[in-house]
Amino acid sequence: MTELLRVNNLKKYFPVDQGLLSSRLSRKVKAVDDVSFFVTEGETLGLVGESGCGKSTTGRCIIRLLEPTDGTVEFADQDIAKLRGRDLKAFRRDVQFIFQDPYASLNPRMTIGEIVSEPLIIHGIGTNNERRSQVRELLETVGLNPEHINRYPHEFSGGQRQRIGIARSLALRPKLIICDEPVSALDVSIQAQIVNLLSDLQKEFGLTYLFIAHDLSVVRHISDRVAVMYLGKIVEVGDWKNLYDSPHHPYTQSLLSAVPVPDPEKQKSRERIILQGDVPSPINPPTGCRFHTRCPIAQFPICSDEEPELRDVAVGQRAACHFAKSMPIPLEKACSTVVGSCAETA
Amino acid sequence: MSTLLEVRNLKTHFHTRDGIVKAVDGVNFSLEAGKTLAVVGESGSGKSVTALSIMRLIPQSTGVIGSDSDILFKGESILHMDDAGVRAIRGDRIAMIFQDPMTSLNPVYRVGRQIGESLVLHKGLKKKEANERAVELLDMVGIPNPRDRARDYPHQFSGGMRQRAMIAMALACDPDILIADEPTTALDVTIQAQILELMIALQDRTGTAIIMITHDLGVVADMADDVMVMYAGRQIEAGSADDVFYRSLHPYTWGLLDSLPRHDVSEKGILMPIIGQPPSLINVPPGCAFNPRCPFAKDVCRSTVPPLVPIEDGHSSACLFSEDPAFRRDSASPSGEVA
Amino acid sequence: MSDPKDAHHDAHNPHPHDESRFEHGDIRDVAGHPVKDQAQLLPVPPTDEPVAAGGRTLWGDAWYRLRKNKLAIAGLIWVIFVILVTLTADVWVKPVFGDPLAMDTTLGANLQPPSADHIMGTDKLGRDVFSRVVYGARISLTVGIIAVAISVVIGLILGALSGYFGGFIDALIMRGADVFLAFPYVLFAIALIAVLGPSYRNVFIAIGILGWPSIARVFRSSILSVKENEYIDAARSMGAGHMRMIFRHIMPNAVAPIIVYGTMSIGGAIITEAALSFLGMGVQPPTPSWGLMLSDARPLMVRAPWLMLWPGFAILTTVLAFVLMGDGLRDALDVKMKD
Repeated sequence: MTELLRVNNLKKYFPVDQGLLSSRLSRKVKAVDDVSFFVTEGETLGLVGESGCGKSTTGRCIIRLLEPTDGTVEFADQDIAKLRGRDLKAFRRDVQFIFQDPYASLNPRMTIGEIVSEPLIIHGIGTNNERRSQVRELLETVGLNPEHINRYPHEFSGGQRQRIGIARSLALRPKLIICDEPVSALDVSIQAQIVNLLSDLQKEFGLTYLFIAHDLSVVRHISDRVAVMYLGKIVEVGDWKNLYDSPHHPYTQSLLSAVPVPDPEKQKSRERIILQGDVPSPINPPTGCRFHTRCPIAQFPICSDEEPELRDVAVGQRAACHFAKSMPIPLEKACSTVVGSCAETA
Repeated sequence: MSTLLEVRNLKTHFHTRDGIVKAVDGVNFSLEAGKTLAVVGESGSGKSVTALSIMRLIPQSTGVIGSDSDILFKGESILHMDDAGVRAIRGDRIAMIFQDPMTSLNPVYRVGRQIGESLVLHKGLKKKEANERAVELLDMVGIPNPRDRARDYPHQFSGGMRQRAMIAMALACDPDILIADEPTTALDVTIQAQILELMIALQDRTGTAIIMITHDLGVVADMADDVMVMYAGRQIEAGSADDVFYRSLHPYTWGLLDSLPRHDVSEKGILMPIIGQPPSLINVPPGCAFNPRCPFAKDVCRSTVPPLVPIEDGHSSACLFSEDPAFRRDSASPSGEVA
Repeated sequence: MSDPKDAHHDAHNPHPHDESRFEHGDIRDVAGHPVKDQAQLLPVPPTDEPVAAGGRTLWGDAWYRLRKNKLAIAGLIWVIFVILVTLTADVWVKPVFGDPLAMDTTLGANLQPPSADHIMGTDKLGRDVFSRVVYGARISLTVGIIAVAISVVIGLILGALSGYFGGFIDALIMRGADVFLAFPYVLFAIALIAVLGPSYRNVFIAIGILGWPSIARVFRSSILSVKENEYIDAARSMGAGHMRMIFRHIMPNAVAPIIVYGTMSIGGAIITEAALSFLGMGVQPPTPSWGLMLSDARPLMVRAPWLMLWPGFAILTTVLAFVLMGDGLRDALDVKMKD
């Protein structure tokens, strides 16, 4: 299987203090801090994590909506982090992006026909008539009625708008599509429609997906492999079944146990790992392992001094933890519920 | 078990330039002390408007509550109370927390003061006493260094902490009912787990009844004793949590359950979405609101609005076929008349 | 309804025509429930009609809302009326009411109160006030519209550069705007005219030049807010160049506040012209200008109050009309078209 995308040591830092007089030593938000992964042609790699983990920023760096601070992004043997001008534009034909917000991702003053044909116009593909018929075909492919080609986005529902965005991303027949939370803003019953649509399109067009989301269940469903991010780093990566059945990294384990299951008996009898506190600030991430401040199995001084590398913990599975193990975390070591003083006085 | 709240035939309609939006169209339920009722639905189902109607927070300019609707709190009608009476109940006996912790707190007042505000209003505490109590409450909801944090402003709190502060504010007067409108939707999942855990623990300690409004069936499974499913402003199913999850009677609920991807089931199943999209509340489909999307719909579904009817003990469904014991999730066959 | 593409069937069902696999309970949905029927696995057919009816553009919707705003429409009607009157003035005002420049030095012909011959009376030189008011409107409207047009053109260009490119260009332009805004407006106008020489043409140049900073600022901030939208990112991710970004995506969406601001600025420009003429820095006698008429009327305030009232009234109603229109436009364009 050929590798389509390889990200090496990607970093994206945002300066906190802006302006003409800020010093070079000003603080930086380390949104993505040395992230490496690859995506094989035809597969779906899920990138999952909570807010602030850097998953969206990673996606945007790959497509050059943001300029990486450091690192390389290899696509079809080119380092796209360094592309400019015409080469950059050519690259854009192969990699497309689906946005999260179905309301803000479509220009409200363009018809959906204009929106979907825009990529073709920008790249000078086809005549007017050819474009028009291609747009109609695309609309049909995503499950919309081609007769509505002259309507405006506000006349459609959220799910339909997301389909328009998907049609637009298919126009140039890209090889890789980066989906940034494509279903998070949609109703539950519509999410399934869009997830199925994306799956179908993948098979029909031979697409490769980088699927970025915070919803663990959706990611598991659509992905072949999944990478979990925390505070700008990948903490675990593996194939969907092994990662979810036997997560090795304590953050992955907490994350999975935190997602409630729509099954009352199961949910109430599940073992819950409740993490203490909030996610630390990416401006001043914790030293050593970034997760050590909330980790139920952290041991000192190693966890606060040494940053763990991503290493193999099982077949096809890697985790960045000094003590990664797949056994469920012993209850007495798990963080208790945070109603501390309440328990004392109850 | 005393019945704290009784909602009878609640109808809340909004008059807009495009027509009448029937946000809530005939909802009946009751809430017992100490229990948790989950109101489940997608956007446009009317669940939030139901909560706002109970609190009488519907804007008067466009919103109209039906004249034959009534909401009884401990036997007394909220809808027919005068303003002073409602204000006395709001915050004191029935409290509400909202979805967006960023905008629910007033950015120009310190957190401690906001928490103490309802104490000053309803319990007549002096500012100093209210502040003390606010610190206690912040501690109760698990905020470290509560005395210092009470003097902070909301922007100095993280999302999870703000939601805890909101819970503290809501519980300050020890209300009988806490209405939580999507309290964890805007939070990360690990923070959501903390907040839900907190709410359960607090409920154990104070005995507050909770109305939990959400679209997340996982949250429902975690917290609810009873569940009410809403669609297009109407109730389509009501019963205990076990009833609704394991013995569901209504095709919409089946659709919701079937369309959820799971991370705990070992094989990847097929996602079966509900076709179509949620209906406009101005032009609600005739008959059963769900009929255009229901794989089991027949002609009669388009002409009759199914009433919410008890089928089993404590378990009701608003589907014309629910009474047929063969019409169940594992055994029902589609009519083939998909719209 | 067009057929769902057959390719979709295959994606859902590995063996589209083999029904027997259902019997063994092999095919299960995500929760593990057996799927009994082919029909339950039907792919999603094309989603049906869009939610809103008709091909209404956002501009169309705004127009609809504007129409319903009575004050704004009143303003619009008045403005159109005034424009028509001034355009046709030569045809019906001069012959009927008299030449605005025609002095009548016969004794007693001047300073006449309103009468059948002169419906607004005569001024100190015996000229008919009514026709002077009408011709004065020409000056005011022309100055108002052209001056604002100059401001808008300069402001749009500079604001666009500032908002789109940001960085150094933005800083440069905005500091330039700050410099302009630091000077007292009327004084600056007077100084400019002193340099250019008092004349009709220089008035609108002066007002035009002074007006660009506010327009640029408003446009820049509108652009910054438009840039927050994901459709801008989407266009960039497709490889759109600068020209396309500015003219296709940013301009149409950012221009709405300029329409509002520009309309209201016309009112301001009219007043400024009146002020300048009042001070002798604008239109020179004998050309009728409302400001000049006010200036002439001042010493005669008690003896011939109508000389002040009519031009004053004209300024008031015209400026008010533009402001009401601008206000109405703001309300009409402001509503975000989210569902």
